[in-house]
Amino acid sequence: MRIDKSQRGWAIASLIILAGSTTAYVFSAHESPRGATGGSPLGLLFGSIGFGFMIFAALLGARKRVPVWRIGRAQAWMRGHLWLGLLSLPLILFHGGFHFGGLLTEVLMWLLIITVASGIFGAILQHYLPTIMTRNVPLETIYDEIGHVHSLLREEADRSVEAICGPLGFSKGSPEDSLRAGGFAAMRPVAPVAGSAGSGTAVAAAAEVLVLSEEESAPLRRFYLQEMRPFLEHPKKRGQRLADADKAAAAFAGLRTLLPALAAHAILDDLMEICDEARQLVRQERLHHLLHNWLLVHIPLSLALILLGAIHAVVAFRY
Amino acid sequence: MARTRTTKKLAQRIDLNYFKRPSASKRAKFWISVVVPVMALAWITGQGLSGNPRIYSSGRMSEAHSVLENQCATCHVQQAGGFSAKAADTACLSCHDGPVHHNDQVKTPECAMCHSEHRGRINISAVSDRACDECHADLKTKTGAPNYAAHIRSLEDGHPQFAALRDGSYDPGTLKLNHAIHMQPIRRSPNGPVVNLECGDCHRPAAVKTNWIYADERYGAAKPSYSEEEEIHLVKANNLTSHAPVTGRELMAPVKFGTACSSCHLLTFDKRFEKGVPHDKPEIIHLFVVKKLRDYIAAHPGDVRVTRDPDRELAGRPILPEARILTPEQWVAERSTEDEHLLWRKTCQECHTLRNVPPGAGNDGAMPASGTTSHALPEVEKSNTVARWMPHARFDHDAHRGFTCVSCHSKAVSSTNAKDILLPGIAICQTCHAPGPDHAESRCSECHTYHDWSERQEVTPKFTLPTIRSTSR
Repeated sequence: MRIDKSQRGWAIASLIILAGSTTAYVFSAHESPRGATGGSPLGLLFGSIGFGFMIFAALLGARKRVPVWRIGRAQAWMRGHLWLGLLSLPLILFHGGFHFGGLLTEVLMWLLIITVASGIFGAILQHYLPTIMTRNVPLETIYDEIGHVHSLLREEADRSVEAICGPLGFSKGSPEDSLRAGGFAAMRPVAPVAGSAGSGTAVAAAAEVLVLSEEESAPLRRFYLQEMRPFLEHPKKRGQRLADADKAAAAFAGLRTLLPALAAHAILDDLMEICDEARQLVRQERLHHLLHNWLLVHIPLSLALILLGAIHAVVAFRY
Repeated sequence: MARTRTTKKLAQRIDLNYFKRPSASKRAKFWISVVVPVMALAWITGQGLSGNPRIYSSGRMSEAHSVLENQCATCHVQQAGGFSAKAADTACLSCHDGPVHHNDQVKTPECAMCHSEHRGRINISAVSDRACDECHADLKTKTGAPNYAAHIRSLEDGHPQFAALRDGSYDPGTLKLNHAIHMQPIRRSPNGPVVNLECGDCHRPAAVKTNWIYADERYGAAKPSYSEEEEIHLVKANNLTSHAPVTGRELMAPVKFGTACSSCHLLTFDKRFEKGVPHDKPEIIHLFVVKKLRDYIAAHPGDVRVTRDPDRELAGRPILPEARILTPEQWVAERSTEDEHLLWRKTCQECHTLRNVPPGAGNDGAMPASGTTSHALPEVEKSNTVARWMPHARFDHDAHRGFTCVSCHSKAVSSTNAKDILLPGIAICQTCHAPGPDHAESRCSECHTYHDWSERQEVTPKFTLPTIRSTSR
């Protein structure tokens, strides 16, 4: 969710609540001989409201699980989660008079601080990263399908290379082969290769592309088997030349000078695009991890916070 | 022809049920979200089962009570398996007496109103200003108008000037001391060295045992017949006794002749004797002078023949014979009268105020004529040295030892009148003592105490070491 003008209402309301709470806290802390304490009427009010905000923020998870419930738009819940969750920190600090108290309350305070800090971190990421993702990963796909798309890219590359180099022993020739990886339709007809089983079924047959002799195709074959195929199998592995766009372009340019037929150059263009898409998917995976992994801290700690906070509330009100 | 990306192809490559498949990240998120709260629950359950009282405590105990960290029942009443949050005054008073502040105060707060516990390792006796201005911001008493400033909120807000420095106040001391002269270079004798006195050459706390530069050992070691307490002027408060010094370095001790003055202010009384008279009451001095003269005349019997000294004869007085033969007693009487006259009229009055000084032979202030005798003795007015100017407040010179004396007592350099009060004003204190991180502590409790400890009642001890050190509740 972007922090834009659509958040203005929530932001203003939050600032008003914060200003009112701060005024009440400062006045109370100044006027009370004991300073601000959690057990004072105002302290209890701060604690109750702060805990209420935390519970509301935590309910966002439940709201997401039942999207059909007519209990407000998901965006409104998200904004409420963001702003009320943020407000809960100052309110709880006012509740405790900026003292962390005993063991349980100290743990609660740190849980709250980490939860809110991770939430702020996540909000910042969600504000900036989608734009970065759109700019840097134009071929973005569904995150859970990245592995599958990688395998499709590999198969497409196998077929393209086999089309001019002869069989490499990779092509499967299944009906799925007709689907081009990354949603690309293979518009280039290639000539059937004698002995390369299945490769002809991948795309429409055509006569423009000639199969290279073994000697002519040797540089491409070597490049593919030694560099490109390992890269497509393990695109995240460090130290690979094709993992870097500039180095990959240089590698393909060099290869282009070693291949005689112009048609083979068109295949090289395809292979370059396949490598580029593989790199984008790696980039998407990294950005996705950055965009979502903070939740591994935020959600569990917020649940622990709610649980321990409820225990603290019961004990405090009882005694 | 280049590869083209179509929506249809995009859709075809996606498994439409992908979101139903548990991915590694989803599984991790789920299990961590289960495990962490369960661990939190297990932790708090374990703490509860182990009987750790700190788990529900609202904070660490103060320094003084840290030994009671695990002894909740000492202060909190146990009820229904837990402890009441509020500690009753009776719990405090079972160990401490808390004498009332003023008998005419209109309300007495609960102990915890001022002494907040569970605020960490703080000094619990250092209460907030708000606790004091609860009453002092608008002071009312049972007996009507208060004797003190009625609207004090803090050191910087409403605190009046120190009583000793208010209009019309003066130093009740009777010693004639000119600070300005003593702070300038002084020649110790007509041909002696020039000295520059430091404040510490005369003024030191009682606990400081370093050598006095301008002391005369004989006077320093002598035990005068008067007590030091007899010379002290007590500035009394209506209530709340003064804080007793703890280290002996808090307050400056009254200046003593033997340690500070005797090296320069010699008490010689007769050219026949090098040794001066004791720094004591006139009666003691008289006996000393007479004894010295008797001893002298016994050793020098020829001196009973007294020749006339025209330089010492006063106009209008009977002219004595050229030479007289006196009995030893007459000689002692005449010499002691002369010597004591010098002492009472000049030497002692250099610093002290004397009453009933015996007149000279018909002319006050003049040397008695030769041949006259007088055994009347003067009275030395009580010094009335003020050892403590602020009976309601605590001040520690030792805590301020990093500062030069005159940086606070600036008037000492220029004061020529012994009636000047050289106590620094409250504005000097406020220079450093103010709220904020770059200032020294300025809370009321820094200088004042609440409880009137002169009314203290003894309490019966209630703890034993095994009890207090046990970790059980």
